[in-house]
Amino acid sequence: MIQPVRNYLTFLARCGRIAFVGDWRYYTWMGALSIICLLGLNAYARQFAHGLITTGMSDEVSWGVYIANFTFLVGVAAAAVMMVIPVYVYDNEELHDLVIFGELLAVAAILMCLAFVTVDLGRPDRFWHLIPGIGQFNFPASMLSWDVIVLNGYLLLNLHICGYLLYSRYMGRKPSKWFYIPFVFIAIFWAVSIHTVTAFLYVGLGGRPFWNSAIVGPRFLASAFTAGPALIILALQIIRRVADYHITDRALLTLRSIVQVSMLINVFLLANEVFKEFYSGNLHVASSKYLFIGLHGRHALVPWIWTAIAFNLTAMVLLVLPVSRSLRWLNVTCALAITGIWIEKGMGLVVPGFIPTPLGEMIEYSPSLNETLICFGIWSFGLLCYTIFLRMAVPILQGRLSGVIGSGFSPAHAKS
Amino acid sequence: MNDKSKTPAVLVALTLVFCAMAMAFGLRLWGKPRPLVVNPLVDPQFISTATIRTSYVQLIRLKADLSDFDCYACHEKDKPPTLRFDTNQNLVVPQEHSDVVMAHGRHGRNNNCFNCHNERNLLLLQTHDARELKLEDCPPLCGSCHGPTYRDWEAGAHGRTSGYWDRAAGEFKRAICVDCHNPHNPKIPSRKPAPAPIPLRPAPQLPVVAEH
Amino acid sequence: MNSPKPNGNSNANPGPGSGLNRRNFLRGSAVIASGLAALAASLAPLRELEDFGSIDQFLQKYYKELTPEEMAKVLKRIEDEVEREYGLRPHVRDLKPMAGVEYVYALNLTRCIGCRKCVHACVAENNQSRTPEIQYIRVLRLPHGSLDLEKAEHNYSPESVPEKGYFYMPVQCQQCKNPPCVKVCPVHATWQETDGITVIDYNWCIGCRYCEAACPYWARRFNFAKPSIPKERLNPNMSYLGNRPRSRGVMEKCHFCIQRTRAGRYPACLEVCPVGARKFGNVLDPNSEVAYILHNKRVFIQLKEELGTSPRFFYYFDV
Repeated sequence: MIQPVRNYLTFLARCGRIAFVGDWRYYTWMGALSIICLLGLNAYARQFAHGLITTGMSDEVSWGVYIANFTFLVGVAAAAVMMVIPVYVYDNEELHDLVIFGELLAVAAILMCLAFVTVDLGRPDRFWHLIPGIGQFNFPASMLSWDVIVLNGYLLLNLHICGYLLYSRYMGRKPSKWFYIPFVFIAIFWAVSIHTVTAFLYVGLGGRPFWNSAIVGPRFLASAFTAGPALIILALQIIRRVADYHITDRALLTLRSIVQVSMLINVFLLANEVFKEFYSGNLHVASSKYLFIGLHGRHALVPWIWTAIAFNLTAMVLLVLPVSRSLRWLNVTCALAITGIWIEKGMGLVVPGFIPTPLGEMIEYSPSLNETLICFGIWSFGLLCYTIFLRMAVPILQGRLSGVIGSGFSPAHAKS
Repeated sequence: MNDKSKTPAVLVALTLVFCAMAMAFGLRLWGKPRPLVVNPLVDPQFISTATIRTSYVQLIRLKADLSDFDCYACHEKDKPPTLRFDTNQNLVVPQEHSDVVMAHGRHGRNNNCFNCHNERNLLLLQTHDARELKLEDCPPLCGSCHGPTYRDWEAGAHGRTSGYWDRAAGEFKRAICVDCHNPHNPKIPSRKPAPAPIPLRPAPQLPVVAEH
Repeated sequence: MNSPKPNGNSNANPGPGSGLNRRNFLRGSAVIASGLAALAASLAPLRELEDFGSIDQFLQKYYKELTPEEMAKVLKRIEDEVEREYGLRPHVRDLKPMAGVEYVYALNLTRCIGCRKCVHACVAENNQSRTPEIQYIRVLRLPHGSLDLEKAEHNYSPESVPEKGYFYMPVQCQQCKNPPCVKVCPVHATWQETDGITVIDYNWCIGCRYCEAACPYWARRFNFAKPSIPKERLNPNMSYLGNRPRSRGVMEKCHFCIQRTRAGRYPACLEVCPVGARKFGNVLDPNSEVAYILHNKRVFIQLKEELGTSPRFFYYFDV
């Protein structure tokens, strides 16, 4: 009993140590991320001390960039599953070794989501009120309670799958199918559910006609399955370069075809939304008018949404054309898609739902400097986590970090 | 490429940056939240529960000077005052009662003091069916023309109520007609409204455009 | 500290030659030490934290789980806190709903002149923050002939009201029979009591503002900063679920002046209305004004009726 525990602790210790070892580019990257993280932490300390008055939110627009980023990142986390489906359902071999990078991205994304929700709370010290049994958990009526369950469950699911696979590889053992294959299939459904539940947070509000529409859920999933794999493509390109890890072009092109189909669906659903909002001319169209063309002289979001649409359409065209098969163009396309969808889901979904208010008032929103620093801080924290995960995972997968005796540089007390 | 000699430089630079940041944070060089502009407190007149006017009934209760209501200080008993009308059939208000503005009914309707006042006994009011009412019991008189309003007032749906909705718990007060309406000029006067709300993040002023 | 190549992972990094020699180890330690110093220093603004609340407040149980003895202790603690803050000892009660009572509010749109006295009477009665300004009631000015809230003007400031061609509609929490805010709160910090008032336990709310997004009437307010109430205008007659001073980071809203109405009195907005446009009472009592109004008036508006919230607030006209 004691030996497996010691092996696992050694594994964790070695993984921890390796996170601090790298070349100058690694130190520069991690140093820059740490600096931004600290700026964000400082900004959050300020917000904790003074309250949400340090943000740009108000009673009229009571959710802002925190929830916008949260929504986008839940989508990214859900999209890790897009690699799982071809590999485990369709037995795609190229992507097989890359699934774990997607799941590690999902873990980092979920950590960012949890961080964004925490910084958005007015009384984060009262989080214990959410714990069922000790607090008062309003399940199943409140969609937020569903979200708490599914997000934490997804985190544990992915931590288990990644942890188990990596530890098995580290110990030179073949992973037992029963310990991960069922969880992988659960993760497929669970990933769809986390993003659907997040969509239902908005859809269920009858008083906000901009959100109270059936298309929000499908739109969330389509945009998530575009932006997520696009992020994974970019991440894999970087891993290929800095970590010397073998990733075939065909793997990237398979991911590209996922992004392609998802983007086409996403743009189609956008067209549906625009038609439904503007054709009938009823009064519920106020928020859409504000977003796309401005309303009563207020038009702060109009440049944002049209930039997002331009980016998405350009990305869609590039994805459909063979030019995006060239990896350099693929990177450009992915960057355009990710940015376009980030704007669309963030500023283009959360903020217009509040403008005009249910009583018709037009108060606009722009994030404060403190709010922006916190957002950058959390994004840096997420990238920091993901880099550390990769820093541990790549050597393990390459066999260069292993607990097996004789595999190079094993610790004295490896598995017996 | 992996130039080994760059690593020390990077590490030293990071150390210096972290030290600088530690000092900057500790000295709180930026980010002190700007104090909010203190909103002015509302004028106490806007939270006063006083009725629109002070009626005879209220004056009685306040034990105020009621000499204005002592009609027989000037009028003779048993001698009904005569009314004078101008060529357009409008009442000419005597200068002794110049504070009375006759505006109870448009187009000169209700132009006769003795539609409500009792000419035989100036201290009383009278209805169409010759019932005599004290000044402080005016509602049935008002209600003899303003039927639906009187019906609503009796039920508490018109006019001001105050005190306890739960009659068993305490005193329930209902204002009478003249507590709010000047019987000679009953229209509720316009007034200045309390200030508009002050939003936390005010929207910048837009250029003035014609209203649609 | 002499440490020639420790065994293990010294070569488990991508590049050749960036070995863990002594100098790099010391530089690395310097980075980590200075990083930790920066981390500690970054939390410096927490020194400005003033109103975090006591351990008792942090551990306080949910309202519905408090025994009467525990509630008495909580009320005393609140009285101590308010006395410390404002120099005035309040009287904080926990009033329970009366049996056989369901409150309904009726507002006569023929009469409202848009003077906004109700707004300020509510602020004074319920100890709302003056800076930033929190007002539970918002009076809308609408043009004759339309209930389109997009045409509402919130900031009218004419020389005198009422203005020709407009009517005025004050909006506050409608105490819906089917409240969306209660449905979405993740911690049950807001719920509907048996007398129809939707209340908030200010010590339980976590400040996620989901209820504010869910309310179709924009009736809920959030304390973005610590509320500031001038000491001389503090109303010391308080109740736990009503007008006791709130902390920052929690929601609040109209609660039908629960400290007054559960003692049988009219709400402050009704008492101050100069034209008697507001009517309130127990709809289950056939002799109340509101029962009379609901039985006899013909045209009622329940705002946004189609959303199924079933508000207990009825706007009517005088025919």
